Amino acid sequence: MDKSSSQRLPPLKRTWWLKHRFFKLYMLREATVLPLVFFTLCLLAGMVALLQGADSWQGWIAFMGSPIVLLLNLVALAASLFHAATFFVLFPRVMPIRIAGHSLPDQAIVAGQWAGVVVVALLFFWLLGRGA
Amino acid sequence: MSTDQITAKRVSTNSASTKHISVKRYLPDTSTETYWQEYDLPVDDSTSLLDALNHIKEQLDSTLSYRWSCRMAICGSCGVMVNGIPKLGCKTFLRDYEGDIRIEPLSHFPVQRDLVVDMAIFLEHLAAVKPYLIGDNPVKPYDPKAPETYQQTPEQLARYKQFANCINCGLCYSACPQFGLNPEFLGPAALTLAHRYNLDSRDNGKKARMAELNRHDGVWSCTFVGFCSKVCPKHVDPAAAVNQGKVEAAKHTLIALFKG
Amino acid sequence: MNMNKHDVQHKQAFDEPLWWGLFSAGGVCFAVLLPAVILFIAVLLPLGLLPTEALSYERASSLLFSVPGFLFVGAVVCLPLFHTAHRLRHGLFDISVGNDTLNKKLMYGGAALLSVLALGLVVAGFLS
Repeated sequence: MDKSSSQRLPPLKRTWWLKHRFFKLYMLREATVLPLVFFTLCLLAGMVALLQGADSWQGWIAFMGSPIVLLLNLVALAASLFHAATFFVLFPRVMPIRIAGHSLPDQAIVAGQWAGVVVVALLFFWLLGRGA
Repeated sequence: MSTDQITAKRVSTNSASTKHISVKRYLPDTSTETYWQEYDLPVDDSTSLLDALNHIKEQLDSTLSYRWSCRMAICGSCGVMVNGIPKLGCKTFLRDYEGDIRIEPLSHFPVQRDLVVDMAIFLEHLAAVKPYLIGDNPVKPYDPKAPETYQQTPEQLARYKQFANCINCGLCYSACPQFGLNPEFLGPAALTLAHRYNLDSRDNGKKARMAELNRHDGVWSCTFVGFCSKVCPKHVDPAAAVNQGKVEAAKHTLIALFKG
Repeated sequence: MNMNKHDVQHKQAFDEPLWWGLFSAGGVCFAVLLPAVILFIAVLLPLGLLPTEALSYERASSLLFSVPGFLFVGAVVCLPLFHTAHRLRHGLFDISVGNDTLNKKLMYGGAALLSVLALGLVVAGFLS
C-alpha cells in the first residue's frame, strides 16, 4: 500500500554544489589538483629538457619564466597552500593520535604539519638558496 | 481564513514581533505539485521553529503535516530544511533569522506529505551495519548466582562515546551530497554507528560489519565533504567516524590479503 | 537476477584501500612538499632569484639523476599524481560526468603512466 518505502529520488543535478558556500569551498578544495596537474606537466617537461642537454634546460627555464606559465604556477602555489590548509585539519580527525590514553590536541597536530611545510622550505633554501 | 485568530493572538501574547515564514507544501491527495505557503506568526525570543509549526497547526492551518515528539533534541524526528540547511525544528530559534525563513522537507528523501519524509532507506542502511553489540561477553555463560557485568574502563568508553551520541535524525543524510548522488551509499549516520560499535571493547562483530563498510557503497563513497559534521545537532562528527572507518577498512583488506 | 544484484552490491572493494592510501600519501606530499617545490622551481628559478649556480645544468642533473632524485620524483610527482587522479575521479562523479568504472581506469591509469614516465626519465638520466 505504501509505495514510497521502495521509492528512490532522482539523483542530484550536477549543479548541486553551487547552492551553498560550504559546497563551493569543497569543490574549490577538490579543484586544487587542476593547477597541480599543470605544474606536474611543467616539471615533467623540465626533466625531459634536462635529459636532452644544457641548451634545452636553459630553454625550459625561459619557458617557465613566460608570464602565463609563471601566473599559472603562482596559482598552483596558492592551490598547494589552500590544499594544505584544508588537508591538515582533516588529519587529526581521520587519525586521532593518542599518547598514554590522552588524545593529542588537534591544534598541535595541525601546527606540526605547518612546521613540516616550513622545514621543507628551509631545506630547499639550504640546498638552492645560497651562493655557490 | 483565520486572520481574526491571528489578530487576536497578536494582541493577547504581547509578543516581540511577527515573523513571516514560507513552508513548502505537498498534499498528494489534492495535487502532485508542490507549492509555497506563507504564514505570519507572533514570535518572541524563545520561539523555536517547532513552536512556530505547532502554532500554525493549532491556530492557522490544521492541514499542515510535520513530525515531532520530544521538543528537546533527543528524539530526532523534527528535522527540516531551513533556508536549505538541515536543522532540528526544536533546536532552531526564529530569533536567529532575519528576512526569509523557508522551510522544506529534508533533502534526499522521498516526501510523503508536506514536511514528512520517508526515511525507509536510511533505516535500511542503518540495519545493514548491525548497530548493536554482537557476541558480547562470550567468555562465560550467564550465571544468575554470580552475574558478570560488562565491565568497561573510562578509557575504553572514551574511544567511542562521541560517536554514540547519534539520535538518528537523518540531518547528515540531507547534508551529504554523496548520498544525494547515490542513495545506495550507506551514509554518515550508519557508517558512524558501525564505527561506534567497532570501537566498543564489549563488541565482537567487527568482522561482520567490515563486509558492509568495505564496499564501494560503504566507506569508499565518502569524499570528506564534511557538511554532515557541520549540521549534526549532537556534534557527533560523522565525517571523522566515516574516515576512521576507511583506515579500518584498509587494515581489514591488508589482513585479508595476507591471510589469503 | 536478484541474486546477481545482491552479489554486486556486496562485492568487497579490494582496490579502494590502495587508491585511498595513494591519495592520502599524495595529499601529504602535495601539502608539505609542493609549496616549497613550486616556490623554488616554478617561481624563484625562472625569475632569476636563485644564485646562478643553484640549478645550473650540471647541478640540476647531478641532483635529479641520483637516488635522492628518484625519491624526490616519487614524492613530488608520482604520489601527488595519484592524489590528483583520485580527486578528479570523485570530482567527475560529483558533477555526473562519465561513468565511474571508466573514469577510474582513465584516472589511475593516467597517473600510473605518467609516474612510470617520470621515474623512467630519472633512471635514463642516471644511466646516461
